[in-house]
Amino acid sequence: MEQIMEQMPIVLHSLNIGFLQTLKLFFVTLLGALPLGLLISFGSMSRFRPLGIFSKLVVGIVRGTPLMIQLLIIFYFPGLVLHNPIWGSGEAGRFTAASVSFILNYACYFSEIYRGGIQSVPIGQEEAGLVLGMTKTQIFFRVKLLQMIKRIVPPMSNEIITLVKDTSLARIIALQEIIWAGQAFMKGSQGISGQIWPLFFTAVYYLIFNGILTVLLSRLEKKLDYFR
Amino acid sequence: MKKLIAMLLTSTMVLSMSATAFAADESDAAYVKEKGTLVVGITDFAPMDYKEEGSDEWVGFDADMAKAFAESLGVEVEFVEIDWDNKIMELDGKTIDCVWNGMTLTDEVTSAMECSNAYCKNAQVVVVPEDVADQYQDTDSLKDLIFAVEAGSAGEAEVTALELECTPVKAQADALMEVSAGTSDAAVIDLLMAAAMIGEGTGYENLTHTVELNSEEYGVGFRKGSDLAEALNEFFAASYEDGSMTECAEKYGVQDAIVEQK
Repeated sequence: MEQIMEQMPIVLHSLNIGFLQTLKLFFVTLLGALPLGLLISFGSMSRFRPLGIFSKLVVGIVRGTPLMIQLLIIFYFPGLVLHNPIWGSGEAGRFTAASVSFILNYACYFSEIYRGGIQSVPIGQEEAGLVLGMTKTQIFFRVKLLQMIKRIVPPMSNEIITLVKDTSLARIIALQEIIWAGQAFMKGSQGISGQIWPLFFTAVYYLIFNGILTVLLSRLEKKLDYFR
Repeated sequence: MKKLIAMLLTSTMVLSMSATAFAADESDAAYVKEKGTLVVGITDFAPMDYKEEGSDEWVGFDADMAKAFAESLGVEVEFVEIDWDNKIMELDGKTIDCVWNGMTLTDEVTSAMECSNAYCKNAQVVVVPEDVADQYQDTDSLKDLIFAVEAGSAGEAEVTALELECTPVKAQADALMEVSAGTSDAAVIDLLMAAAMIGEGTGYENLTHTVELNSEEYGVGFRKGSDLAEALNEFFAASYEDGSMTECAEKYGVQDAIVEQK
């Protein structure tokens, strides 16, 4: 116990740096995947057949393969097979590659949630809008969008909380997020070696952050508690 | 018909992409010099590559030698932590230029990479709980033990060669955890690592190492066919000759393990 107290400041410092990477990846993914998901959902609902088929194919491939494989392919494929290492060397490249993988992956999941939300608005409302002389765009933004947002909050909260934990997968391409930082002490880092507790301790970070997110998301849900 | 055309178009696109991608083979040394940085793939592995407490700079015997080698090439050095399992992919994908991290020269390594001459010796040792250590002082006594070894490591190769029962785990550190938790009887890890990770002042005070199974050598790995391996051999020979290599090794306590360079 005394030994742990001694190691605590060094370990916390490392874990904080790692968790900052985790948070960065989390927010970048949300920022990219929320709008991209909407675009993909329009694609899947498109009446232009090739676009519809293409969007569904992309969603099918992304949802049908593990995120870990997608990370490996996106990071290594350009250099290994195309002989064009687009990500460059160094840590910035790893972060960019991880962000691209996560945004693509989560946009596909989000797109299906959006599609569910949009299609849950009764067709009668669209018909009523058309009778009133509104354009399709007006109907989407003034009639459907708010109802969709309200309905997708619970499933989106689910995905967002999963995303926090999924960021740990990025360690496969050596992105130094918090799990990587915790594991470093098992092998030996900064004079501390053979310690398992820092890895277990990373769970506390996830738990606190997800706790905060859960509170915020349920507040949002209550706020959106209009027209039922 | 439309589908057929679409499929044809897609396949030509993919083919042309891969065709243009095969650039002409140039010298690896020229590539690194043009880029201006030698990117060294490492893991946190004292005393070869590690960071001092509170410092952000990579130091260690390998790190210092890599810095000196980069300087001799007239380029900057950049250290990148990698996942050890992916080292060959990292090299071939050009996300790093060399693996310089106490890497044992096994057949797998030498067949997949262009390796330098060996510069350091190491051994694989058996790790057991201290209270039973005196029962396991020779190879014959190991017969009934169940070993934990890092998958794909030199330790695994030794244990398999002796036809001992073993469980492969993800890392050498996991192998120690197995022994410490009693889920395996013994582990095989390398000597430099054992010296740093078990015994007094570590998380594994109840463990100790006994039998040395084999000795092995460390080398630096470059992309297959790279001319940098030869350049490094010359650099090693020169720095062994003028004593700077030994001086660097003494700084990190590995002077006894250095292999003569000529």
